Amino acid sequence: MVSVSMAVNLGGIQMRNPLNTASGTYGNGWQFEGFYDVGATLGAITCKGVAAEPWQGNPAQRLAELPGSAIMNSVGLQNPGVRGFVDEYGAYLQGLRDKGCQVICQVAGHSIEEYVRATELYEELAPFASGFEVNISCPNIAAGGAAMGATPEAAAEVMRAVRPRTQRPVVVKMAPHDVAEIGRALEDAGADALSLINTIPGMSIDVCTRKSRLSRPTAGVSGPAIHAIAVRMVWECAQAVKIPLCGIGGVSSGEGAAEMILAGATAVSVGTANMYDPTCVPRILAELEQWAEEQGVQDINELIGAFEC
Amino acid sequence: MRQSSLTQHDFTVISNTQVAEGVWRMVFASEVARSIEPGQFMNFEVPGDGSHILRIPLSFSLADAAHGRVVIYYAVVGEGTGRLARMRPQEASTLLGPCGNGWRLPADTSKRALLVAGGIGLPPVVAAADLLAAAGVGFDVAIGLRTKDALAPTLLQELELFQDKDTQVRMATDDGSLGLHGFATQAAEQLLSERDYGSIYTCGPQVMMAGVAKLAEERGIACQVSMERMMGCGFGACACCNVALAAGGYALCCQDGPVFDAQEVAW
Ligand SMILES: Cc1cc2nc3c(=O)[nH]c(=O)nc-3n(C[C@H](O)[C@H](O)[C@H](O)COP(=O)(O)OP(=O)(O)OC[C@H]3O[C@@H](n4cnc5c(N)ncnc54)[C@H](O)[C@@H]3O)c2cc1C
Ligand SMILES: Cc1cc2nc3c(=O)[nH]c(=O)nc-3n(C[C@H](O)[C@H](O)[C@H](O)COP(=O)(O)O)c2cc1C
Ligand code: FES
Repeated sequence: MVSVSMAVNLGGIQMRNPLNTASGTYGNGWQFEGFYDVGATLGAITCKGVAAEPWQGNPAQRLAELPGSAIMNSVGLQNPGVRGFVDEYGAYLQGLRDKGCQVICQVAGHSIEEYVRATELYEELAPFASGFEVNISCPNIAAGGAAMGATPEAAAEVMRAVRPRTQRPVVVKMAPHDVAEIGRALEDAGADALSLINTIPGMSIDVCTRKSRLSRPTAGVSGPAIHAIAVRMVWECAQAVKIPLCGIGGVSSGEGAAEMILAGATAVSVGTANMYDPTCVPRILAELEQWAEEQGVQDINELIGAFEC
Repeated sequence: MRQSSLTQHDFTVISNTQVAEGVWRMVFASEVARSIEPGQFMNFEVPGDGSHILRIPLSFSLADAAHGRVVIYYAVVGEGTGRLARMRPQEASTLLGPCGNGWRLPADTSKRALLVAGGIGLPPVVAAADLLAAAGVGFDVAIGLRTKDALAPTLLQELELFQDKDTQVRMATDDGSLGLHGFATQAAEQLLSERDYGSIYTCGPQVMMAGVAKLAEERGIACQVSMERMMGCGFGACACCNVALAAGGYALCCQDGPVFDAQEVAW
C-alpha cells in the first residue's frame, strides 16, 4: 500500500498524481480504454492540438523510425476544429473529469487571432476543460506553431492575447530552445504553468533518393533518445521561473518520470511511449510511487526540484 | 468516436520458418485468435532490446478461434521484421489487436468475387477467401509476384482450404518464371474478361491496388482495398498513418482502415 501523497498542482490544475499525457501521442484518450481505465488512472490528459477551424495536417509520409529509440513525425496538427472536437469527444472527456482525471485541451493556431479564436470557442463549448495548453512549438506547420514561440517577445504576445479570454489555467507548450528566457517571458505574460519540451526538429535523408524520409524536409524527433535533453531543459527552465512545469520528452519509465521531477517538474507527460507501449502509464505510475516511497518522503511535492548539484 | 475492443495480448511462437525468398511464416498461440476478423491486423512488439521501438503491423492469413492459433507471413525488410524472424518456438512477446476494420461481405453474395494479391499482400487475401467461403461466395484469385521463388507454397495450400471446384488461381510474375509474364493487374484483367464478378478484394503494393481500383471502377464493380502505411501506434492515437481521401482530407489507415472502399481513396 502506497503511503506517499501523489497529488500535485500544475498551475491551478489539481492532479491526483503527476502523470499527464503528451499531446498528439494519446489520441483523445478513448483509444486506451481497452488497455486500462484512463479516467481512473491519469492525473491529467492533454488532448491533441485543436484549432478554431479544422486542419488537414501534412500529406503522408508522416513518420519514420530512427535508430536508437527515437521516431520522427510530421503530422502537422491534423484536427477537426474546436467544434468538431467537442462534438466528437466532449461527452467522453466529461466522463474522464467525472472520474477525477483533469482534462487539458490544447490550443493551436497559425496566428495570434487564431489562438484567440480557438480559446474563445473552447470557452464557449468545452465546460469539461480543466485548463488549456497553448501550443506555440509545433515544428510541423508552415506558419504559426514553433514560429509563434521562437522568441521571448513572440511567445509572450500569444500568451498576453490568450490570457484575458479565459479564467481557467493556461499552460504553454514550449519548443526545445532558450527555455529560460522564453519561460520567464511567458511567466510575466501570465502563464500559469509551462510544459516542455515539444519534439526536436531533425532531418532524416534517404541517401538513395536524396529525399527526406518524410513528406517535409524537417520533422520532430521524439522518444527515449531525447530524454536527457528534455531533463536538462526542464532543469534550466525550473531555475528561471517560479510557475510549475510539466516535464515532457522520452519518458518511458518511473525512473524517467522521477528524473523530470528532480529536475524541477511538477507533472510529467508520457508521449511516444504510449504509441509503442500503450499499457505503460499504469506501470510508470506504480514505479514512480515506489520510487517516492523509497526516497522516504510523505509527499511527492518534496521531491520536485530536489536534484542535488 | 467509437468503442475500442482492442487490447494487448501475449503470443507464444509455435513455429517460425522461412517459406520463400525473404518470406517467413509464423504460427503462434494467442487469445487474439478468438476475436480477430479477416482483414484486421495486429501490431507486434519487436523482441530484443529497446533500440527499435515501433511495433510491426501485420495481417494474418488464418485464425483458428477454437485452438487459439494464428498464422502470419512477413517479409524481412528491416530491423523489426529481422528480429521477428529470429524468434524461436516457445518464445513469447506481445501484440495489440484486433486492430482496424476488416473485409466486409459483398452486398450481393450471389455473384463471384475476384481476389487480387500482390507479393506479401497475399496473406490478408487468404483471410478474405475464408470470409467469402463461409458465406458461400465463390471466388477466383489473381496473384502477382516478383519471381516464382517469392511464392510461399503454404499460402497456396491455405487458399485451397476455401476454394470450390470452379475456383481459378491465376499467377503472374515480373520475370515470367511462373504463370503469366507480367503483373497481377494483367492476370486480374484476364479473369475479368472471362467471368462475371460482383466484387473485388485486393491487397498489395499501392500501385497495384490503384490499378485494380481502376479496373473495378471502369466495370462498376465494388472494390475493397487493404491499405498499408507506416504506423506509429496502430490504434488511432498518433495520426501518423494518413490515407488521402477522394473527398479531400485524410482518414487514418489503422483506425478507419486498413480496408477501405476503393472509391473512397484518392489514388
Ligand atoms: C495494416 C498492415 C498490414 C501489414 N501486413 C503485413 C503482412 O502481413 N506481411 C508483411 O510482410 N508486411 C506487412 N505489413 C508491412 C510491415 O508492417 C512492414 O514491412 C514492417 O513494419 C517493416 O518493419 P521493419 O522494422 O522490418 O522495417 P523498417 O526497418 O522499419 O523499414 C524497412 C522498409 O520497410 C518500410 N516499412 C516500414 N514499416 C512499414 C509499414 N508499416 N508499411 C509499409 N512499409 C513499411 C520502410 O519504409 C522501409 O523501406 C503490413 C503493414 C500494415 C500497415
Ligand atoms: C505523433 C506525434 C504527434 C504530436 N502532436 C503534438 C501536438 O498536437 N501538439 C503538441 O504540443 N505536441 C505534439 N507532439 C509532441 C509531444 O507532445 C511531445 O512533446 C514530444 O513527442 C516529446 O515527448 P516524447 O519523447 O515523450 O514523445 C507530438 C508528438 C508525436 C510523436
Ligand atoms: S498509426 Fe497511430 S493513428 Fe494510425
